[in-house]
Amino acid sequence: MEKNSGPLSPHIQIYKWQFSSLLSITHRMTGVFNVAGFFLIILWVLFLAIGPEYYNFYQKFLKSFVGKFILVGFTWSFVYHMLNGIRHLAWDFGYGYEIKTANLSGVVVLLSSILTTFFIWII
Amino acid sequence: MKNHALNKWVLQRLSAIVLIPLLLFLLYSLVDLVNQDYTGALDFFDSYLSIAIFTLFLIFASTHLKLGLGEIIEDYIQNEIMKGILNKIIMLTSAILPLVGIVSLIIIIL
Repeated sequence: MEKNSGPLSPHIQIYKWQFSSLLSITHRMTGVFNVAGFFLIILWVLFLAIGPEYYNFYQKFLKSFVGKFILVGFTWSFVYHMLNGIRHLAWDFGYGYEIKTANLSGVVVLLSSILTTFFIWII
Repeated sequence: MKNHALNKWVLQRLSAIVLIPLLLFLLYSLVDLVNQDYTGALDFFDSYLSIAIFTLFLIFASTHLKLGLGEIIEDYIQNEIMKGILNKIIMLTSAILPLVGIVSLIIIIL
């Protein structure tokens, strides 16, 4: 066993799930996921800079079914992280701590992240 | 030590606030860009606004991801050596990614 000298975050394997904690861990997971999305964006400019043959190859992949699926997934991940981040900012300023409000803002974030993704891609 | 943590906390939130409009602009543009061919995509960087927003996004997103990933490492990794290695990887990643992006951008503009 490692010597544990600091406080530990909830071990998610044995943690009792609640809506609030689910949203919280999703915030972190989308945060990590967004790094991969950021990498894809960098790759996109890089290929654009290198030349049309690389760019077209990359674009063909992005336009495929799998590519579109990945892009919509990343869009949701970015939007969720952003909206839930705004929720966190409200908490930082001392607003929305009541359990009822926190749960409601959680539902709002989840639904609007889906709606915004839909809006960005369909409309 | 305390001030250092406070600085990180503030910077994490400031970068988050700056990223909101940048991200919305980019997500909306990227959806259109996926359907553009090579010349169409190059046209996107014909505008100073696109270049400015993209550059700011690279800088603030890499700052934000460095702080965020560092926080996760701090919370879940107990082993000091492993923590050190992972933090180095994060530092390198958050420096190399925007650098590649900015160099690419310069090549595109020139």
